[in-house]
Amino acid sequence: MNRSTLSKIILIVVIIALAAPVTAETTIEWWQFWTDPSIKPTVNKIVAEFEKANPDIKVKVSDLTWANGHEKIVMALASDRGPDILELGSDWIAQFADAGHLADITEQTATDQEKYQGWGMTTYRERIYARPWILGTRVLFFNRALLRQAEYADNFIPISWSNLLEAATKIDHLGKNTHGWGSNTAEKHRLYKKFLPFFWSNGAHLYTPDGQYCILSSQKGIEALKFYKLLHDSCGYVANQRGIEDAFLEGKIGFIISGDWLLKRIELEKRTIDFGTTLIPGPKFTGRSFLGGEFLAVNAASDHKQAAMRFIQFVTSPENQVSFCKANRSANPSSIMAQDDPYFKSNIHLQTFIKQIYSGVHPPVDPYWVNAEAAIEDAVEDALFGSGMIAEPLHKARKKIDRSKRK
Amino acid sequence: MKSSKATALVLSLPWVLTFGVFWLFPILYSLVIGFTDYTLLGRGFNWTGLENFRLLFADPAFISALKNTFIFVGGTIPITTTVALLLALLVNRQFKGRGLFRAGYFVPSITSMVVVALIFTNLYQRGGYIAMLASMAGFTPPQHGFLFDSGSALYSIMAMDVWMAVGYYMLIFLAGLKAIPDELYEAAEIAGAGKIRQFFSITLPMLRPVALFIVVINTIKSFQVMVEIFVMTKGKFDTSTSVYFIYETGLTTQFQFGYASAAAYVLFVIIALFSIVQFVLLRRRQPIW
Repeated sequence: MNRSTLSKIILIVVIIALAAPVTAETTIEWWQFWTDPSIKPTVNKIVAEFEKANPDIKVKVSDLTWANGHEKIVMALASDRGPDILELGSDWIAQFADAGHLADITEQTATDQEKYQGWGMTTYRERIYARPWILGTRVLFFNRALLRQAEYADNFIPISWSNLLEAATKIDHLGKNTHGWGSNTAEKHRLYKKFLPFFWSNGAHLYTPDGQYCILSSQKGIEALKFYKLLHDSCGYVANQRGIEDAFLEGKIGFIISGDWLLKRIELEKRTIDFGTTLIPGPKFTGRSFLGGEFLAVNAASDHKQAAMRFIQFVTSPENQVSFCKANRSANPSSIMAQDDPYFKSNIHLQTFIKQIYSGVHPPVDPYWVNAEAAIEDAVEDALFGSGMIAEPLHKARKKIDRSKRK
Repeated sequence: MKSSKATALVLSLPWVLTFGVFWLFPILYSLVIGFTDYTLLGRGFNWTGLENFRLLFADPAFISALKNTFIFVGGTIPITTTVALLLALLVNRQFKGRGLFRAGYFVPSITSMVVVALIFTNLYQRGGYIAMLASMAGFTPPQHGFLFDSGSALYSIMAMDVWMAVGYYMLIFLAGLKAIPDELYEAAEIAGAGKIRQFFSITLPMLRPVALFIVVINTIKSFQVMVEIFVMTKGKFDTSTSVYFIYETGLTTQFQFGYASAAAYVLFVIIALFSIVQFVLLRRRQPIW
C-alpha cells in the first residue's frame, strides 16, 4: 500500500467517524420492589415506554424484596454507591435524607405540589427528597353476612367506636368460631399502624407542635388505647396480619383493618365473601387512618440526576399511575388527576380507599422514627398482652421516645 | 530446610489470608468500633470510650435480652443433657426397632431450624395441636396461643429447642456409652453391684468428659440463640435474646454498628467466662458428682 492510498483510507475513516450521529447513551439504575407476576410486566412496560420516549437513556431495573430490601439499600448508600433511583417506603426517607444520601429535588417538584398527594412524607427540614408514587392507607373491612346474622340491616355501616364495638361484640357472640374483631399480635412495623388510627381519631398527637417532646400518653392517647384494648379483649381474634386476613376471608371475623392488597387477594383468589369497606370509625364520627406509601428518590451520589428525575416524572405521571394501579389493583395513586380515572370512580371499595387518604395521617418525618415506632408497639403489646395496664406502658414509651430524641 | 519453610508458608497463605481478611480483621474492627458511635448511615464516627457499654447496661431492652438468654441457657442445658442421656441409655439397649428410634430421635437435629420453627409456630397457635393436647391434659392453654403470651412464649421456644437438640447429644452420649469397657460392668456384677449402683459408679463417671463436652458446646450454642427467635416471635412477647438484640441494633432500623459491637463483646466475655469455668471443671481429676 503506497502513501497516497493510506492517506485516502485515513481520510475516509475520519469523515465517517465525524459524520456518525452522536449517540451518547446514559444508563440509569432503578431499584424497585414490585416483583409479583401480576405487576412486573407493567413495570417493564412503563420502563420500555420511557426508553422509547427517551432514546438517550437506558434503564436497568433491579428487583428488591421487602424482606431485605431496606438492608440492601442501606449497605449500598453507606458505601456511596447504589442505584440512581430508589423506591422507598415513607418511613425511610427521613433516615436517608438526614444522612445526606438523597438528592434534594425541591426545585424540580415545585410545579407539582398541587397535583399530587403525599408531599408531607417526602419533606424533611423543609426540603423535598422524594416524589410520591403509590400511596397506601388502611380501611375497615366488614363481613356483611355476619352482620346480617347479628341482625343488622344491610345498609349498616359502623361510623363510631360504639357502633363498631357493639357490632363486633354481637358477631363474636354468634358462635365459637366467629370473632368480632381481627386484632394484630405484636408484629413489628404493623401493630402501630393499627393502633395509631384510633389514637389520631381521638384527637391525640404524638409530639408537641414544635416536635420537641413526645405526648403519647396524653389523656386522649390513653382513651384511644383503652378502646383498642376493649375491642381486643371483648371480641379479638389474635393473629398476625396474614392470619387475620385468612380468617376474615374464611368468614370467621366481623371486622378487620387492612389495605388494598386484600382487595387484590379477594379478586385473584376468587373469594366469594360478602364484604364491605368503610372509613375507620372515630369516637363519634368517621376517624383517621394511617398513611404511607411508595416514593421515588434520586441517589445523592448519582452521576445522572437529570436523567433519573426524568424517569421519576415519567413513572409517576397520572397515566402511568393508572396503568400501574389497574395491574396491581392498587387503590391509592398519588396523582390527583389519576384518582379521577373511571377505574377508581367505578369501584366502591377503591373509592373508600381514596376517601380515606384524605383523612390519613402519616407518622412524623423523623430519621429516628423507627425507635419511636418500636416504643409505641412495645406499649401496645404490654397493654394488650402483658400487664394489661394502659397509662403506664404509654408513659414508659413516651419517656423512651424522649430519651431517644435527646440521644 | 529454607525451601520447605517457604513451601509451608505458600501453602498456608490462602488460609492465613482468608482468616486475616474474613475473621481476624472483622473481629478486631468490631472491637474498635464498639468504642465509637459508628452507624452505617452516618458520615464518620467519634470515639466514645466506654459510653456504649454504660448505655448498654442502662438499656432495658439489652438487660431484658440478657435475662432471657440466661433463662434460655439455664433452662435448656440441664433438660437437654438429662433427656439426651436418658435416651442414649434407652437406645443403647437391645430391642426390636432400635435403629428406627435412634434415627427418629436424631432426625430433628439435622432438620433446618427455620423449617422446625415454622412447624412449631403452627403447632403452638391458638387451637393448634399443642393447645389441644394441653386442654386434654387438663391445662388451660394461653388465650391467644403459646407464642402470643409473655408467660409462655420463651418457654415454648425452649421446649422446641430441647426437642430439636436432644437427638444430636443423644448420639454423642451413645458414642460415650459404647466406649465404656464391658469388663467394668462384669466386675461390678461379680462384686454384687445392682444396675443403679453401676449407673452411678461406672456409667456416669465414665461419661463425665462426654457430658462436659456436651455442656460446653450446648452452652455456647444456647448463648447464641437467634434463628428460632427471629422466625417465631421476632423478639416480641419477652423473647428477645442477646444475639437477637445485636441483630436488631446493628442490622435493622438504625444500623448502630458501634452499639451492636459493644453488645457483641459483652456477650463474648460472658461466653468466654462460662467456657473457662466449664474447662476448669473438665480438667478436674476428681469426679464432680
